Amino acid sequence: MAGERGAVESGLHARQPKAIHSAFTVLEEVARCGPGITAREISANLRMSRATAYRLLNLLVQEEYLVRLGDLSGFALGRKVAELVHVVAPPRPPQAVRDIVASVREHLRGGVHLVGYAGTALRILDEDPDYRLTDASRLSRELESSAMGRLLLADLRREADADAGDGFVAETIARGFAVQTGSFDPARGCLAFPIRDGDGRLVASLSLCTAKERVEHPGRLLDELRDGAARLGPLLS
Amino acid sequence: MDALARAIARPEPVAGLADRSPLAGLARRSVGFADVLAQSVSAVAPAGAAFTTPLLVSALAGGMSLPALAAALVIALLTASTINEFTRRMAATGSLYTFVARGLGSAAAFVAGVGLLIGYGFIAMFALAGAGYHLVLLVARLLPVAIDPMLLAAGSIVALGALCLVVLARGIRLSTRVTLLVEATSVTLIVALIVAVIASNADRLPVLLRQDAPFDPQGFAVAATLAITAFVGFESSAALGVEAKRPFANIPRAISWTVLVSGVVYLGAAAAQTVGFDVAGLDPASSASPANDLAAAFGVPWAGLVLDVSIATSLIACAVASSTALVRVLFSMGREGLLPPALGTTHPRYRTPLVATLVALPVVIVVPLAVVFLTGSVWTAMTVLIIFAAAGYILAYVLACVAAPVFLHQIGELGWWPAIKAAVAAVALSGVVLLYLAEESHGARAFGVWGFLALLAAGIAVYWARLLRRPWLRHAIGVYDHAVAGDVLGGIPEAEWVDDAGPADRRGR
Repeated sequence: MAGERGAVESGLHARQPKAIHSAFTVLEEVARCGPGITAREISANLRMSRATAYRLLNLLVQEEYLVRLGDLSGFALGRKVAELVHVVAPPRPPQAVRDIVASVREHLRGGVHLVGYAGTALRILDEDPDYRLTDASRLSRELESSAMGRLLLADLRREADADAGDGFVAETIARGFAVQTGSFDPARGCLAFPIRDGDGRLVASLSLCTAKERVEHPGRLLDELRDGAARLGPLLS
Repeated sequence: MDALARAIARPEPVAGLADRSPLAGLARRSVGFADVLAQSVSAVAPAGAAFTTPLLVSALAGGMSLPALAAALVIALLTASTINEFTRRMAATGSLYTFVARGLGSAAAFVAGVGLLIGYGFIAMFALAGAGYHLVLLVARLLPVAIDPMLLAAGSIVALGALCLVVLARGIRLSTRVTLLVEATSVTLIVALIVAVIASNADRLPVLLRQDAPFDPQGFAVAATLAITAFVGFESSAALGVEAKRPFANIPRAISWTVLVSGVVYLGAAAAQTVGFDVAGLDPASSASPANDLAAAFGVPWAGLVLDVSIATSLIACAVASSTALVRVLFSMGREGLLPPALGTTHPRYRTPLVATLVALPVVIVVPLAVVFLTGSVWTAMTVLIIFAAAGYILAYVLACVAAPVFLHQIGELGWWPAIKAAVAAVALSGVVLLYLAEESHGARAFGVWGFLALLAAGIAVYWARLLRRPWLRHAIGVYDHAVAGDVLGGIPEAEWVDDAGPADRRGR
């Protein structure tokens, strides 16, 4: 009796990694074939039984790693896949980058942070050790709420030529940098300056988080940030 | 992991995605699993039905009442599982109406839509009348003042209806929280009573297996049919497709759990009643007020009071939950243009379908008042209203079960098991609805059957007339919550997927 139960338990342990493996294989297949692939195609490509494929697909849709498109027959990778990236800590930026950020910190009072962008995701590269971010996980989850996120959104929507008429997108594009006040702390706000590579692609941003009135009337703070961002550009692309 | 890593680093742009969901305006992705579950459980109101249904069933099936309830539970589970083929793939506010539209097209969708509106509307009316009825009993028990019971019942119908309206208008979180709290209270009370009765008479449990009458297949079928009517409403959380967090996980789970929880409560209540009547030496068929007779026989008159409170609260939660679903189906039809577009608008701050609420709730209040005054008794009014509701619901279930395999075939995901499941459920439910209507059509409540059929025909005629004037509607009906750009890796993020509930709620999902 005990032996039988042991066999059942070890069977469970042996099967679970296989299920996880299959789920990743399905994700990989959706990534490989691109958006719009159907359940039938996935089961054929992977030589997986249809029932298994449907079950895995529905599970991945439940967990929002996959999304069903328009007519519900095609699949695409969900935004949550990008969040997997946050599980893996990004590599520490090179010494030259850290030196420039440190020199900007010496000139400015407030939190100076460096974040990088990959696709639609945002990663923290160098957080100010003296002024920590209020809510780092919300920062990467809700792009709308932070200056760093707004910078990325404005850039993405400009690329997609979406209607640039609404709210912060138009403002950010016109201004050349992003601003946020009161999203995380009613008395504080943040300025984020874009860092672009040689092709003009947005790769990172340098930001200053400080008291609300200083964000609203930044004066010479802007020059410091703009200067730092310009020096970081060649090192981060 | 090459392709996946590449896709994350440089997402392929996904074209053709809308910036906004076609159902934008509601508080998208804002209520969690407990609230979604409360919506479905409250619409079923198991605490309210736990006392009456087993009694009605045992009157028809005799000693076979537990098997009849179990058979109903199996059919309800098959139906729920078939409906979940939709809820795992589609997030909508139109519930079964939208699912049928997607699978079978506009004509079948009209029938299902009218059936569902009748189902949600009349169950809300039934619940308001029932809550009024039990409040009158409570008042009579606590305050020995002479108030006209009819007037008191009418007053409480109006007051509770107004309460529903305010709760529904003020936001989905408020209405689901109210139903969660109220329904949890009433289910706890009823479960405590069931456990108390069974635990104190554990030695009498063999009475459940006693078979004193010959098996009567027709009585058994009618009893199982009646038992199924006690499960209707379990799918109502499907109307929260847009407002639920992780809808493709939470809604199917809520629907299955609701059927299981209700089934267990009914089986427990049936067992407790059989044991109780046996111990007390009473005949359930001849008892006018079984709850109070039982309570008196056991020497615990306060148990009757607990039961009245439990049933009344359960029915209040049921009124809120059913009107929530009703309003969302109307909202869906308004968005599509099948009903006037004003019904498809939302309040900018509360993000609820305010116009649909303001149109639906007065009807839900006035109709039961009229039926109460016409029939001269709240109880009679309730028995008529429930026929409309049960028939409407089951009709919509039948169509959803027929639509499910067609829909799965269209998207290339039909398998053997879903097809068999849907076929069994559709055949069983068709039998149920026909048997139910036939059974009720030659009784004192025949008015309910003919009224239902007339209302169904009138509703379909109205929709058909609208379709003839607006032929494009044929392609517009059945809107659901498309994946918006912000949901897809490589889509262009839009503000829509950010909800503005507090940060604490977000973590708690």
